[in-house]
Amino acid sequence: MRLWAVIKKEFLHILRDPRSLAIIVLMPLLMIFIFGYAIDLDLKSIPIAVVDGDRTAASRSLVSSFTESGYFEVRYYLDNAADFEHFFRAGRIKGGLTIPRGFAKSVATQFETPVQVIVDGSDGNVGQTILHYSEAVLADYSVRSGPRQLQPLVELRPRFWYNESLESVNFIVPGLVAIILMMVSALLTSITIAREKETGTLEQLLAAPVRPIEIVIGKVIPYIALALLDGLIIIGAGLLIFGVPFRGSPALLLAGTLIYLFPCLALGLLISTLAKTQQVAMMQALIITILPSVMLSGFIFPVASMPKFHQFLSSIIPATYYLRIIRGVLLKGVHAAALAPDALILLCIGMVLMVVAVKKFKIKLD
Amino acid sequence: MIIFFMPVVQLLILGYAINLDVKRIELAVFDQDRTELSRALVGKFGANSYFEPVAMEDQDAASLLDAGRADIIVKIPRNFARDIGARDNTEIQILADAENSNIASIAVGYTQGLLRQFWTGEVFRKVKLQPHLRQALHLVSLRPQAYYNPELVSVFYMVPGIVVVLLTVITTLLTALGIVREKEMGTLEQLMVTPIGKFHFIVGKTLPFVIIAFIEMSVALLVGTVWFGIPFRGSLALLALAAPLFLLTTLGVGLFISTISGTQQQALFFAWFFMVFGMLMSGFFTPIENMPRVFQLLTYVNPLRYFMTIIRAVFLKDSGAQDLAGEILALMVFGLVIFSLALMRFRKRIV
Repeated sequence: MRLWAVIKKEFLHILRDPRSLAIIVLMPLLMIFIFGYAIDLDLKSIPIAVVDGDRTAASRSLVSSFTESGYFEVRYYLDNAADFEHFFRAGRIKGGLTIPRGFAKSVATQFETPVQVIVDGSDGNVGQTILHYSEAVLADYSVRSGPRQLQPLVELRPRFWYNESLESVNFIVPGLVAIILMMVSALLTSITIAREKETGTLEQLLAAPVRPIEIVIGKVIPYIALALLDGLIIIGAGLLIFGVPFRGSPALLLAGTLIYLFPCLALGLLISTLAKTQQVAMMQALIITILPSVMLSGFIFPVASMPKFHQFLSSIIPATYYLRIIRGVLLKGVHAAALAPDALILLCIGMVLMVVAVKKFKIKLD
Repeated sequence: MIIFFMPVVQLLILGYAINLDVKRIELAVFDQDRTELSRALVGKFGANSYFEPVAMEDQDAASLLDAGRADIIVKIPRNFARDIGARDNTEIQILADAENSNIASIAVGYTQGLLRQFWTGEVFRKVKLQPHLRQALHLVSLRPQAYYNPELVSVFYMVPGIVVVLLTVITTLLTALGIVREKEMGTLEQLMVTPIGKFHFIVGKTLPFVIIAFIEMSVALLVGTVWFGIPFRGSLALLALAAPLFLLTTLGVGLFISTISGTQQQALFFAWFFMVFGMLMSGFFTPIENMPRVFQLLTYVNPLRYFMTIIRAVFLKDSGAQDLAGEILALMVFGLVIFSLALMRFRKRIV
C-alpha cells in the first residue's frame, strides 16, 4: 500500500507536466520521421561538372552513362578542369569529370583510355563513394560497348538478406527503441530523484513512514511504464507507417526489453546518488548513458570500423546487447536460445550497477 | 580545468566513433570453381584492406549469415573460368547481411567494385579469349584525384562537425537550464526586483557560455589539427567572425527555450528536441542533397546547417567570405530573429 502511494505520487508528477509528456511522446516520432525519410547514406544525384574536351558522339554517350546511372547529375559544363575548384569552394559540385581531347579516337584504336574524375575530398566518405560509382559507370560503359558474350558476367545482382529493400528504417527503428528506453529510464529516474534532493523534498519523503527501497521502487515503476509506452509507439509507427517487419515473437521482445531496462534503471539510480542537482544529473546522464548508446552501440556507426579501445567501450554498453536482441527479433526472427548470451550479459551489467547504486544510496541516506 | 579536458576527451572518443567508414567487412568466398582464375579472385579479396576473409568450410551460406559470422558471401560458380566468353549464364553471386542497410549497401558496393576491377583487370587483360572477342574489347579506365583530402579520410570532415554539435549542446542547453533553474528555485523573481536590468541579466547569463564556447572551440580546433592532423587551410578571421553569429543563434534558442519552460526537465526536453533536429538536419553525417525535397527545405531553418558548412569549408577548402556569403547572412538573420523573439517573450513573462 505504501509502495502504491509512492507510485501514484510519481505518476501525478508525470501527468501534471503535459509539456514534458508531449515531448516524451513526440521525440521518438520526430526521430523516426527524420531517420526514416531523411537519413539515407546511399548517394543519389550527386552534383558534378563536366569538361568535355572531345565533343563527339562517344564522349556524349559517356556523359549520358554517368547521368543515366542515377548516381550523378551534371550541373555545369565547363571549359577547363581548373575551374572545378571554384565550384568546390562554393559547395556547388562534389565532383568533376574530364574527358580528354581525342577520346573517341582512342576508344576506337587503343585498348585503354583513361578519363579523369576529380572529387571534392573534404567529405572523405562522399569522395570515396563518387570514385566507386565512377568506376562502376566506366566499367559498365566499357563492357556494354564491348562484345556481347562478355556482358552477363558484370551483371552482379546482389541479394540482401533480412532487409531485401535496404530500408534504413528497418535498421533505425530497433536502434531508436534502445536509445529512447535508455533515455526515459536512466535520464528521467536520475532527474526525478535529483529533483527531490535539490528541492529538499527527499528528506521529507524519507521522514515519512516508507522504507527507502519502497521510494526507489515506487519512483522507478512509472518510468518503466513510460519507457514501455515509448517503445510501443516507436515499434507501432515503424510497423504501420514504414512497414518494418516483425518476424519474431512479441513475448520474447518484451522479455528482452524488461531485461534491458534493468541495467538502464540501475544506471539512473547510480547517477541520482552521485548528483546533487538536476543539472548535474542531466549532464552525467547525457555523457554516461545517452551519448555512448547513440555513438558506440552500433546504432548508426559500425563498431567493427572503430579502434580497439572504442570496441571495448562498446562491449560494456547495455544498448549494444539490446540492439542485438531487438534486431534479431524484429528482422531475423531468431529464437530465445540465440539471444540468451546477450540477455545474460545485460543481467550481469545490471547486477553490478545495481549493487554499486544500492551501496551508494544507503550511505547517502544514513 | 574540466572545460579544457572535456572537449579533448569528447573529440578523442567521438572523432573515432562517428565514422561511417566501412572497414573490416567479413567476407567469405565460396569457390566452387577452384581454378587459377577463381583463386586469383579469392586472392584479390584477401589482399584488399576493406575485407577480412572468413574461412568457409562446408557450411552453407545461410548458416554463416544467420550466425552473423559473415557480412558478405561471394559465390563463384563451377566452370566459371571455362565459361567466360563462351556462354552467358556464368554468374557471380553476392549475398549480403542487410540488417544494417547502410553498411550492407556500402559493403556490396566495395565487393562489386572489386569484382569489376577483377573483371577489367584480370579477365580483360589476361584471360585467353577468342581473337574476335579480344579485338572488340576496350577499356575506359578511371584516373581518380581528390582535392583537399587525397586519402579521403572521413575524420577530416567529422571532427569540425563534432565541434559544431558540442558548441550547440553547451550553449543552448546550459543557457536554458541556467535560467530555468533560477525560475524553479524562485531566485529569478528576487533578481528581478534588484536594480539589474533585463538586458544586463541576459548578458550576464549568456556571456560565460560565450567564453566557454570560445575556449572549447579553440581547444577542439587544436586537437583537430594536432592530434587528428586535419589541415587548417582557411582564414581564422573568417571563422572568428562566423562563430559569434552562430553562438547568437544557439544562445537565442536557449533563451527562447527558457521562456517556454517552467521546469528544468522541460527545458532539457525542449533543448534535446532542438539538438536532435539540429544535428540530424545539418548534414552532419549525411549529405543534405541526399534528403527528400521537403526535408531539404527544413534544413534551411536550422542554424547548425550553416555553421557546419562554414567551418568545414573554411577548414579544408579555404573557402572565402564570398563563397560563404549566403551562409553567413542566414546565420545573422536567424540569430537576430530568434534573439529578439526570445527577448520579447522574456519581457512579457517576467514583467
